[in-house]
Amino acid sequence: MSQINRIDGGLLDRTQKLNFTFNGQTLEGFAGDTLASALLANGHKMVGRSFKYHRPRGIFSAGSEEPNALVQLRSGAYQEPNTRATITELFQGLEATSQNHRGSLKYDFMAVNDLFSSFLSAGFYYKTFMWPKAFWEKFYEPVIRAAAGLGRLSGQDDPDIYDKSFLHCDVLVVGAGPSGLSAALSAGRAGARVILMDEDFRMGGRLNAETLSVNDQSGYEWATQAIAELSAMDNVRLMTRTTAYGAYDHGIVGALERVTDHLVSSNNKPRQILWRVYTKRTILCAGSTERPIAFGNNDRPGIMLAGAVRAYVNRWGALPGKRVAVFTNNDDGWRTATDLAVKGVEITAVIDSRDGQPPVAVPNGAAVVMGGRIVDTQGRHGIKSITLSNGQKIPTDCLAVSGGWSPNVQLTCHQRGRPTWREDIAAFVPGGELPLGMMVAGAAAGNLSLSSVLQDGHNLGNKALSDLGFKPTTETAAKSDEETVGISAFWHVKESKARAWLDLQNDVTVKDVKLSHQEGFRAVEHLKRYTTLGMATDQGKTANIPALAVMAECTGKSIPETGTTIFRPPYTPVAIGALAGRARGKDFRPSRLTPSHSWAEEQGAVFVEAGMWYRAQWFPKAGETHWRQSVDREVTQTRASVGVCDVTTLGKIDIQGKDAAEFLNKVYANAFAKLPVGKVRYGIMLREDGIMMDDGTSARFAENHFVMTTTTANAVGVFRHMEFCRQCLWPNMDVHLISSTEQYAQFAVAGPNARKLLQKIVDRNHDISNEAFPFMACGEVTVCGGIPARLFRISFSGELAYEIAVPTRYGDSLVRTLMAAGEEFDVTAYGTEALGVMRIEKGHAAGNELNGQTTAQDLGMGRMVSKKKDCIGNTLSERENLNRKDGLSLVGFRPVNRSDELKAGSHFIAKGKSAEMVNDEGWMSSVAYSPSLGHSIGLGFIKQGSERLGEIVRATDPIREGEIEVEIVSAHFIDPEGERLRA
Amino acid sequence: MPDYTLTANTPLNGFSRDFPGVSINEVNDRAIVSIVAPRDGEKELIKALKKSYDIELPNAGVLSVSAQDNAVLFCMAQDQYFLMFDYTGNTATTVVHSYLNDTAYLTDQSDSYVMIRVSGANSRCLLERICPLDIHPTAFPVRAVARTIMEHLGTTIIHEGDDNFLLLSARSSAYSFLEAIETSAKNTS
Amino acid sequence: MIINHPLLGPRDASEFVYKGDASLIERPDWQADNAAELFHDYLYLRDNPAGEHQELWYHEQGDRSWLVVTRNTLTHDITNVELARDAVLAKQAKKSGRGEK
Repeated sequence: MSQINRIDGGLLDRTQKLNFTFNGQTLEGFAGDTLASALLANGHKMVGRSFKYHRPRGIFSAGSEEPNALVQLRSGAYQEPNTRATITELFQGLEATSQNHRGSLKYDFMAVNDLFSSFLSAGFYYKTFMWPKAFWEKFYEPVIRAAAGLGRLSGQDDPDIYDKSFLHCDVLVVGAGPSGLSAALSAGRAGARVILMDEDFRMGGRLNAETLSVNDQSGYEWATQAIAELSAMDNVRLMTRTTAYGAYDHGIVGALERVTDHLVSSNNKPRQILWRVYTKRTILCAGSTERPIAFGNNDRPGIMLAGAVRAYVNRWGALPGKRVAVFTNNDDGWRTATDLAVKGVEITAVIDSRDGQPPVAVPNGAAVVMGGRIVDTQGRHGIKSITLSNGQKIPTDCLAVSGGWSPNVQLTCHQRGRPTWREDIAAFVPGGELPLGMMVAGAAAGNLSLSSVLQDGHNLGNKALSDLGFKPTTETAAKSDEETVGISAFWHVKESKARAWLDLQNDVTVKDVKLSHQEGFRAVEHLKRYTTLGMATDQGKTANIPALAVMAECTGKSIPETGTTIFRPPYTPVAIGALAGRARGKDFRPSRLTPSHSWAEEQGAVFVEAGMWYRAQWFPKAGETHWRQSVDREVTQTRASVGVCDVTTLGKIDIQGKDAAEFLNKVYANAFAKLPVGKVRYGIMLREDGIMMDDGTSARFAENHFVMTTTTANAVGVFRHMEFCRQCLWPNMDVHLISSTEQYAQFAVAGPNARKLLQKIVDRNHDISNEAFPFMACGEVTVCGGIPARLFRISFSGELAYEIAVPTRYGDSLVRTLMAAGEEFDVTAYGTEALGVMRIEKGHAAGNELNGQTTAQDLGMGRMVSKKKDCIGNTLSERENLNRKDGLSLVGFRPVNRSDELKAGSHFIAKGKSAEMVNDEGWMSSVAYSPSLGHSIGLGFIKQGSERLGEIVRATDPIREGEIEVEIVSAHFIDPEGERLRA
Repeated sequence: MPDYTLTANTPLNGFSRDFPGVSINEVNDRAIVSIVAPRDGEKELIKALKKSYDIELPNAGVLSVSAQDNAVLFCMAQDQYFLMFDYTGNTATTVVHSYLNDTAYLTDQSDSYVMIRVSGANSRCLLERICPLDIHPTAFPVRAVARTIMEHLGTTIIHEGDDNFLLLSARSSAYSFLEAIETSAKNTS
Repeated sequence: MIINHPLLGPRDASEFVYKGDASLIERPDWQADNAAELFHDYLYLRDNPAGEHQELWYHEQGDRSWLVVTRNTLTHDITNVELARDAVLAKQAKKSGRGEK
């Protein structure tokens, strides 16, 4: 029979039946159910096994604090472990399975752990599996991990999509219970921009689960009305299924919205959204969490929090048991007895740890034991009876336990706040420094009665309004009857001989805390780590305070003296997928495409990522099966005739102003002030500590106008540095910077036929002959009938070469035109590999050489650093140790045996010395196969290298296990006199 | 006649797509010129702008709007302004120079940006996914402008009209930027 | 984290890049007799206060201004934000005596 424990009432839509499966069994529930309420309605008490001892466990709570009822949802790649049945909204077709057992849930082979429990106490693993050490990784850990644990990951990529988003508001109200609704109403009515969020799928909080009335209506009717009023306001945004999980700096709150978790499929919409909320005021109305009392065998299925028992009955019409007993230390626990009695449920007993008279009328037929203690319980797969300290045994199939309520102070502690103890409610309340703009209302602030909570929310809503300059309306707070909220702290039954659980999820018992104390782990942070108390996915929401109280008892200190551990985000677990958001695969970061990208793709180019840029690495031609074939051909063809390479990625900075030349003179180490208009100069930029920062060229287009290029890698950093110089060091200069990297498509045209090729596209009125436009000239020209272009006669390859820049819109067209016009010269496109080969052949330094450790001196450019002017880095470049006689210098290397292949990263050791750090003389920074020379070549730094040309040393590579003899040579492997450049 | 001709393309080849409640359109008929007054030369620039465009130098965060070439002027950095106007030719700085003469340093930025207009009732909801700024009309009214970061990309956002936003981001990453906007449209529609 | 930009109002820290101690705006005189020593101290010696700290932030994804931000290293409270250029000019004015009038 289905739904055997379903009774009338509750906030369900009984017209909508939902079928779901639990461990393969098909069950039925209603819209409005959680998985937990539906399981209870179907009479399922036992829903899982415990973490360590594999004890049978049932549903314990009715909210996100749940330590026990963790299940695996869905299947295949969508499988999600460790979801709390208590907050899993039921949907048609939901599949759930229980976790942490081998064999069936009822007959778990690992339950044997429970028999050995005396050996498995706190610290057991640390003490036992110490020896032999090597066994830990291969044997102990896998076995322990397999035995102790939670659910299983699917092992597949998460097929769902996630998103992130931003929100801004005046007032964020966290929690839509009575105080939250009250606060949102007062703030919303006055016109403030309000966001009200709640982790539940139905707003109302406690009002949905109680029989209390508000404004002479039932609580949930009032809540429904309040929600309707709020949702009609344009200035109010209501967010259900949304958990504020963290309070961050300066009033930022992180929240997770579970958008489609309650649907059978996400339909290609984000499953969850991570919201970053910027708010001026946060009113935390997070309510409170009930905590249990520890006594012997208090973990059996059917033993639940008292508030949860009545929530299942009142909100969900689901009976956790037919003969219910209550164990409480406070008045609120009695409400469970009276509420259930009204519904006709048999109350077998109410055991109140306090002496004196019952605080409310005793339900019919219930045995009342004031000053009572439960010492033990019976029932293997679910509670069957309880034993009191006087020996009396009372049959019951559900025990509702209340040890009082702990305000949910977590978010108040995310920024240094430390809660303070309030003896009258035996609980910690928010204290110390709260996160910026945060106020706390209602039960979260320690106000436990409904009437005070409603008033509190209203007041703080108004407080936020006046803080922000809004005028509160004249409306007053909703009213409710007074309720009695007396409590007398009572944490655990000392008379119990059997194990008494504190942390149900991590299987931490009273005995474990005592052991921790006995072994000297008495500070709360030590207690936590020694016993793993509160370290499970529930973060000890129901466990921490009782455990603290036990420790306080052991040490003879008070609870406030004992203190609490620090709360950190997230309040409840957040999936890694949600934190990643869209940043997966190719969306991990943006990609920048060069103007010739489409064309290069058409040519079948292989691309390489350079920062965010995608650059063509080489262009394979038909028949080329190895990258070297393509690269060698590109180099050979360029050196023989002409090649074209997209160099748009180099940083370009437009520099204008009357002081532009003087500014360049200060940021470059070499002189720039007197560079003539129409000329380009190579420049080296130092950091203030004298180390090389970047190199590039600057072209002077007019008296007050320069165009600088930087390396691709340092484009952003150099611009930032120059803005720093301009704004912070020389703020009186008339100099202005703007990036023009994106504005121009720029191509290197290199090789003996470069000029001939360019002459075909540069308009004839511009003379680019060697005489009119010599090496290191620059100028504005037009191409292809009037298209404006910039031409630079600079060379990285060592050939007669130009760089030509056109507005980016023409970049694609220009590369096609250059290739078409170059056909008669057998033009080739070349990629970054060929570019690298040619610059190594020419002995030009690049990123491998400018590695943040080398100086201009090391690079053989020491003399370029001007001593006659103030520039960044020149003072400290003169430091003694940067100018040692035996310092490094950049030279070329070739293998003595020409067929040997050089390896970048090899270190140089003199012949006859051992390959140790003390004998290290430098390293190989760049290598390439030179098709021009027919063997491997390299650039590298070696002590006094420029004075050692012709010497033979060993290049050792201990990691890749190789060592070859190399000869120190000039870095300029080709055209050392630079005749080709000037041709 | 030259032997070869060059043809221009736009960053997204004229992209245009409608989603429920929102349209995404590439804008490609506007030029952008950066304008900077020489130090101590702001008065002359103000005069020249007044005379030619009948426009003031705007404060940070707001557009000045001119009838001349439908130009708008906004502050990009301290002392640096962007003039955006109807023009599709190759020499935008020449156009601006003809108005302002030598009162300002000019730099053509027309080819530096992809310009995408996001419009429709759902546009703010879409932008919420990628824009960290508060673009509620009370905080970011029509004619407001700001530069911020969206999906790792620097972006200038202009509130052109009700439910109508113009976004400027770097040209080389235009397709990544479009992807960010399209994904947001899919995720919010 | 939010930085209240003096021209643009509150902006998320993700728009900014951090550089370091604001004393970097006081670059020594390269012609001083002890220039090497001065530059050494300028570059390498830093206070490391537990409390108020003046530091440089660059609004890279905003208006590209360098800012001097006064931040409490214990609480993250930001108590003052000014344009670095203004801070430098004020210091220069003070040095030249104009600030004392």
